Order: sequence, then C-alpha cells, then structure tokens
Amino acid sequence: MKKYDNKIIFTGPVGAGKTTAIGAISDIPPITTDAAASDMTLNRKGYTTVALDYGVLNLDGKAKVHLYGTPGQERFDFMWDILSTGGIGLILLLDNSRPNPIKDMQFFLNAFKDMLRQAPVVIGVTKTDIKNTPTTESYARILEKVDMRPPIFEIDGRNRDDVKSLVMALLFSIDPGLEG
Amino acid sequence: MREQMLKSILSDLNGASADIEASAVISSDGLTMAAILPQDVDEDRVGAMAAAMLSLGERTARELARGDLEQVMVKGEYGYILMSHAGKDAVLTVIARKDSKLGLILLDAKRASKAISEIL
Repeated sequence: MKKYDNKIIFTGPVGAGKTTAIGAISDIPPITTDAAASDMTLNRKGYTTVALDYGVLNLDGKAKVHLYGTPGQERFDFMWDILSTGGIGLILLLDNSRPNPIKDMQFFLNAFKDMLRQAPVVIGVTKTDIKNTPTTESYARILEKVDMRPPIFEIDGRNRDDVKSLVMALLFSIDPGLEG
Repeated sequence: MREQMLKSILSDLNGASADIEASAVISSDGLTMAAILPQDVDEDRVGAMAAAMLSLGERTARELARGDLEQVMVKGEYGYILMSHAGKDAVLTVIARKDSKLGLILLDAKRASKAISEIL
C-alpha cells in the first residue's frame, strides 16, 4: 500500500454532529473553533463551529487522513469553499431530527457540487434514535433519480467505529484496492 | 434600543478618524449586531468572516503559546481590516484606509470595544 496523506471534509447542517464525529475518530486532540451560539442554533445546542474543525486519523500507521469539518450555517459558506479545496472526498452528515433532512441533503450536495465532480461522497444519517424516518432507502431512492448512488449509513456520531466506517467507505470508493 | 446604542458608538468611531471607513459589531458566532458599512457590503458575510477569523486567531494564538488573543489584523492592497474582542461574546470590526495611522486606529478601536462591552 502506498503512503496516503489525504484530506476529507465533513459537512452537513447545524447540529448533525460534525464536530462530535471528528472528535470521536481523531487520533490527535481535535482543533475546534466553537463560539457561543446566538442564532436559531441555540434551540438545539449552546455552541457552534465558526471556522473549522480539524483532526487526524492514522490508518495502520501508514495512511494519514486529515479530517476537516465545516460550519453548518449557510452564512459560513465561504469556509466551505476554503476547506473543500484539495479534498479527496466528502462526508455529509444529516440530522434526521431536523424538519426536512431530504432538503438538507439536496442543499449540501448542490453547495459542494464543484468538489463532487472529482470526489466521491458518503452520507451518514445521525439522530435516527430521535426520528427514524426518512430511512436510508428513501434517501437512496431520491439520489438515484439524479443518478447518484453514494453509500448511506445510519450512524451515531459519538461512536468511533460508526464514524470510522463512514471514512473507510469513502476511502474505498476512492481506491477500492485500499485495505483498512 | 441596544442596536441604537451600538450604532452611536460606531458612528463616533467612524467620525473619530478620517482613516476609518466602516465598522461593525458582530456576535462571536458571526451575526451582525450593528453596522455602519458601505452599501455594497453584505453584513451577513462580513459578520461570518470576522467571527471565523477571530476564532481561528484565538486558536492560533493559544496553539503557539501567545496567550489570549487581542486582535486580528488583515492588510490588503487597499487598506486594513482590524478585528478585536468587544467583551467575551462580540467582535468589533474596523475597516480602514491603506495609509491610515495604525496607532490611532488601534487606540480608537480599543476605546470603542470598551464602550461596547459595557453595553452588552
């Protein structure tokens, strides 16, 4: 296996668990840029990411994956551009307990469409314990209509194995020869 | 009411020096609380950028053992952008001309930050 030194991006709406997911799998203490929330986010949580999250995942001591998390609010969309530059893949986290997660999915896939021309995406659906619909099948059906077939998982963003399986799925779709 | 008081501080600040072109008070999560900005500038974007810069600056200062962040300064071809804390949860952003006397602007900004943090 050749040496990998690569960058993947975690994105998705506010509260989907991007900061938590990076915290769960990073092998270094993650860099976070949280600020006290004063917008609608307050209804969901007290803090929100304003610039980026950063962590590192070491695979087998050979492959090093740099993990970047974006802010969720649209007013930070300039950070989405900055962070996605050079990214080899995108992990989209969707919060099933939000009012319209399908629309969230379409919004974020559209916002990252330039990156997705060259890079694959994997979708992780969080908070399915709070609301179990839409199911992963319904997400998949909607994406099939626009000819997209990304891996979609139900995950718990706090669980290292769950998040790691997302990252591994993403790396496999980049390089099927990769051994985790 | 609060916005009005903030605005009056900003207009004093903008009036204090001909070098200061615009200023804004922004919550630390990037929402504009009060602003006196040129027409063609989008408040929301300025707010989000200032919050991101300040937050990154904070992390950088801490990571490199420079203690608590006091300010972030950006210098472009046409002038300066100065961001500093105004109390714990707000950011004062000052936009100044390129040949500004920086010392004076820093002083005015410091004074305004103090007044703002007293209101919030």
